[in-house]
Amino acid sequence: MSDIFIYMLVATLVMLSCFAVGLPNILHSALALIGSFMITAALYISLQIELLALAQIMVYIGGIVVFMLLIILLTTGLGVDDKRRKISFGKWMSSGFIIGLFLTSLLYFFSENDTGLADIITPKALPITIDQIGIRLLSTENGFIVPFEVISLLLLAALVGAVVLARKDVHIKKEES
Amino acid sequence: MSLSHYIALSLILCGIGLFGMLTRRNLLGIMLSVEVILNGANINFAAFAHFKAADPVAGAIFPIFVMAVSACEIAVALAIILSMYRHRKRLDVYRLEKLNG
Repeated sequence: MSDIFIYMLVATLVMLSCFAVGLPNILHSALALIGSFMITAALYISLQIELLALAQIMVYIGGIVVFMLLIILLTTGLGVDDKRRKISFGKWMSSGFIIGLFLTSLLYFFSENDTGLADIITPKALPITIDQIGIRLLSTENGFIVPFEVISLLLLAALVGAVVLARKDVHIKKEES
Repeated sequence: MSLSHYIALSLILCGIGLFGMLTRRNLLGIMLSVEVILNGANINFAAFAHFKAADPVAGAIFPIFVMAVSACEIAVALAIILSMYRHRKRLDVYRLEKLNG
């Protein structure tokens, strides 16, 4: 892919992320988040890591954002919950000032204490295939088998916890029936 | 695009997400901003895995773990949001003084 195309993608990604953060209607921001995740998947493909692009589309867009959209539609009618939303201009300005200060101080720090990491010329990386990732993920030596199993335990615990939390309380059910 | 461009991109995404976390009043909006921040971190992992190829496969595996953990986090957070909504019909974080349901 040519460079100018990737720059256009990145500009769209930043714009969509700003929309996802700043739009008053939260349903619209979730839709903008879907677009920004799509563009991130395209960036992963341009970085030659296809599995990440697939996982991005399947886990983030297919799982997380759809889940989020369901919850938005369940709790806030079409996302227009923010009628009493009064964020003053001063609060916006102060938040922007804090973030700008943070970013400029980070940039200043890293440009002062330059480790030269970004300038080292390394050989062009080969594309990372799905086979390599799978073998590395499940190999016992120098692999990631232990975090893999811990992640599965964490997923199980999170599922059980979510079910317990979202279940209707017993006394509420008694009142209804 | 070189490595420093990708680092700048992830820094910008982190800043946007932090800005959203500071300005949003809705709980769901704050979760959305957290997703933007995690997205920037994943881009950073992938860019380092691509350009600094000491161990590129490990750099490709870490974003997968990040995705799994964020899926767990969003499931639990949305369950909390649902039960909170059932109790008090609002998700405004400025009005949530106590969390004992």
